[in-house]
Amino acid sequence: MFGRKFTGRRQRLAGVVLAVSSLVALAACSSATDAQSKDGKTTITLSMQNPNVKTADPATWAIVKAFEKANPDIHVEVSGQAVAEHLQALSIAAQSDTLPDVFWVYKATAEDMLKAGKLMNLKPTLDDLGITPHLPKSTVSNFTAQDKIYGVPYQGLLTGLWVNKKILSDNGLEQPTTFDDLVNVAKKLKSKGIVTISDGANQSSFSVWSFLVWLDRFGFEDKIDAILDGSESYDNADFVRMYEHIAQLRDAGAFASNVSTQTYQQAVDQYLKGKAAMLDAGVWASSAIQDSQVAADTVFWNGATFADGVGDQNIVMNVASAPLVVDHKVAGNSKKLAAVKKFLGFYYSDAAQQLLVDNGQPPVTDYEPKIDATKQSVLKSALDVARDPKLASPQSQPDLLVSTAVSSAMYDSIYGVIQDQLSPRQAVDLVQKALDAE
Amino acid sequence: MTISTPPAGPRPVTRPRRRRGLIFTGLAAYLVTFLIVLPILWVTVLSLQPSDTILSDPFSIKTLTFDNYRNAVASLPLLQMYKNTLIVALASVTIGAIVSFMASYALTRMVFRHPTARSSLRFYFLAGLAVPVYVLLFPIYRIDLALGIFGTYAALILPYIAVSIPFNTLLLTGFLREFPKELEEAAIIDGAGLFRICWSVVLPTMRPVIATILIFNVVYVFNEFPFVSILINNPDLATVSLAVSKFQGQYTVDYGGMMAAATLVLLPQLVIYAVFQRHVIAGLTAGAVKG
Amino acid sequence: MVWVSSRWKIALMLAPALALFTAFFVYPVGYAIAYSFTNSAGFGGAKFVGIDNYTALLDDPFFWQSLRNTVVILVVSLVILIPSSFALALLLRRRIAFAGGLRALVFGPAIIAPILVGLMWVFILDPKIGLLNRLLEPLGVGPIQWIGGNSLTPYSVSLVFVWSSIGFAMTIFYAGLQLVPNDVIEAAKLDGATSWQQLRHVTIPMMRETFAIVTVLLITNVFKIFELVYMLTGGGPVHRSETLVSYMYFVTFTNQRYGSGMAIAVVIFVLGALTSLAYLAAARRRSLA
Repeated sequence: MFGRKFTGRRQRLAGVVLAVSSLVALAACSSATDAQSKDGKTTITLSMQNPNVKTADPATWAIVKAFEKANPDIHVEVSGQAVAEHLQALSIAAQSDTLPDVFWVYKATAEDMLKAGKLMNLKPTLDDLGITPHLPKSTVSNFTAQDKIYGVPYQGLLTGLWVNKKILSDNGLEQPTTFDDLVNVAKKLKSKGIVTISDGANQSSFSVWSFLVWLDRFGFEDKIDAILDGSESYDNADFVRMYEHIAQLRDAGAFASNVSTQTYQQAVDQYLKGKAAMLDAGVWASSAIQDSQVAADTVFWNGATFADGVGDQNIVMNVASAPLVVDHKVAGNSKKLAAVKKFLGFYYSDAAQQLLVDNGQPPVTDYEPKIDATKQSVLKSALDVARDPKLASPQSQPDLLVSTAVSSAMYDSIYGVIQDQLSPRQAVDLVQKALDAE
Repeated sequence: MTISTPPAGPRPVTRPRRRRGLIFTGLAAYLVTFLIVLPILWVTVLSLQPSDTILSDPFSIKTLTFDNYRNAVASLPLLQMYKNTLIVALASVTIGAIVSFMASYALTRMVFRHPTARSSLRFYFLAGLAVPVYVLLFPIYRIDLALGIFGTYAALILPYIAVSIPFNTLLLTGFLREFPKELEEAAIIDGAGLFRICWSVVLPTMRPVIATILIFNVVYVFNEFPFVSILINNPDLATVSLAVSKFQGQYTVDYGGMMAAATLVLLPQLVIYAVFQRHVIAGLTAGAVKG
Repeated sequence: MVWVSSRWKIALMLAPALALFTAFFVYPVGYAIAYSFTNSAGFGGAKFVGIDNYTALLDDPFFWQSLRNTVVILVVSLVILIPSSFALALLLRRRIAFAGGLRALVFGPAIIAPILVGLMWVFILDPKIGLLNRLLEPLGVGPIQWIGGNSLTPYSVSLVFVWSSIGFAMTIFYAGLQLVPNDVIEAAKLDGATSWQQLRHVTIPMMRETFAIVTVLLITNVFKIFELVYMLTGGGPVHRSETLVSYMYFVTFTNQRYGSGMAIAVVIFVLGALTSLAYLAAARRRSLA
């Protein structure tokens, strides 16, 4: 009975499968286009931390398009992935020495890459172009290591809290200035079921910008060198006090009940929908706020001051963000080098800086931008605070001064207290452990 | 003897009781299926909502819109992506199935001089099941560069084949072991060679398992993300799973766009699967009844 | 079978799979194992540090937390998934209108990319914006922290894993049921066996290998769960809901401790392989007894 079965039936499926597979194997050998030259154009690759640069990072996109228009012989191939994949792809590429020509990367990773000889020294180029004097001194020194300038500021990192004045006044509250004011606001709003500070930890544990400013209000800048060389501990009375203040704010009900499952984007949305009084973010959120229903009510706040803080309390975090860096191989390719040089020259020109501002970003040079006070009211309120002569800025954001492992421990320590997972002591201990592991 | 037949339930029972039993099982089947499909329906609803409504008021009816689909279709080179995915899937899945079948046949049917060689070879393949794929990313990137295939379809096809081998081997050796050998022994007596045995005797009877493998492998290739995101940096070669990720940015997520793109990816897969599996099972049942 | 088993024929049959698998799978794994003994950051120089990465894990509370979570997910998933997917395969074998369509729909979740499965379930399980709590609210059930709280996350992840795997397991069972010879069942029926007895004493014993396949696949898949957790909670709050792979991802790519990450990967590999082997050994002993 078996014989009848198999002689009677032919296997068409299998035949088709084999034919297709051999065809496809041939097709598989056809290779991708050569990126080096397209109709005699020089191509440089620019790799960013957004999968769709055109929509997610319109400022960069506008600069690239304007640059290509001004330099028809150069093609900028823009690519990008979400931060996690972008960093993963970069570290794999660095290992095989196949980095893109110009790319966005965290400062700590950039310094590791510099140590491994993967990055080009931009100092001669920048001096040549005369850009250096127009950049803030702190930025240049931030991106300098081993006497080399390895990075240039991509966009400004102007962070703090966006405040919805209307929610405050509707509840009979005033704009807080001190920490005690803030706690009172949180208590009052909690009783009304309103979130005071919108934060979201899911896949965005780094979204603790306003609390990184707190660290600087408790003497981080003075301590960090000693902490890094081991002569001072992260587990010190000042920092413990700072984390205790986070706990107080948490107990006052300042945060959303789903702070651990919502993402940063959801936190932003919460604010845009008028469901939170403040948003922990930075200037990059200004465009979204401007387009939302809360635009007219929003002002920028540099954060609470502390009576028991350490050092200057009148600060605003206005520093350079993660840098743009250049692959070391560009230096050996004269055409590419010339193209990259032109690109950098353009990026820090007044025209390009105005493009940043037009797209809701602060300029990163000393350029005085033109701002439309009504159409860009949100951005303007942030830039006004940044330019307030009474406020100083730290040299850098605290997480940018340590390795990635320590910075993620810092984020964890802050969210750990916000989510009531860690006591202030455990929080500082977590960071100290990460430092010890270095 | 037949390979299979859809069971008809207990036969000699009285008619009304049997019908009541059938209605009950039918209802149960529909209910369970509905519960399983519910989350997918929910996503379809969400994909018709603007991104901000998804977060604030997903039940809202008056905001329903096809904008997400319009955006997804406008911003994604859908044809190109499906073409890429199909090329990669067809190549890796067919080659993967063939080489796994060959190896599995050798591992279950052929006589090894050292009996332990067989079991240790099988274990060698199966151990691959326990490896999280993120371990493979760095080294495979380097191999692709060294072979000069980085940036081509082959850069994805070869690792996909390798990754499918443990799963395929597990399934094929498992079913081959359970499956009676008499058929092949009869063919050998008829004077058939190795190729004819595999091609005309074993493969036909393995159809349901082969179908299962093909389906699972195709699904894997459609959904695979870690490798594509590392090994394909040319947007012209991007597969559909890369497409969905395009809606996620550093400080933004277009939830509506993601849901719409997901639905666009999902629906054709479901349809293909529905058609494919019915075909396979129909052919199988027909063969069994006639056999 | 000896006739077709000349040495070169065996070699010919095995060679393609062996070559591909060794080059693109075994070599990379060896590479990862080698790097688990270094302090590599992924690029630049790597220094040999012996078993430091492994001893550091013993001291790492997040590692133990992620191991505990993985074990919880493993146990919960297996206990629910194996019986329910087998029952579903039996159910969908019945003569039901559109049974083929139902099988396709049940398989649906298995087709969805894990990253999207995670995203979908965020909109169901999230304590604030999720469907589940929105539906429970009118019933007077307070907001439950399905995900992101202190205790429920691993169970919620198990639930989502069961959902996404049930069609997959059901399909393998279904294919296995097709291969059970019908005459054996007929013989049992003639002997007057009830449906349950047929199932218990004929079908299930004949499908031992299929059960083994499904169980091993599920065990190894549980040890690979990543995207679900990544989307649902991002591992939080503060790594409390991390699984082994999500924690490995965090250490390798977020913290850029490639060496330590690979050490976790080796642990995952060893645990996954050992659990599968232990299961197979137990199953074999039972079948011999």
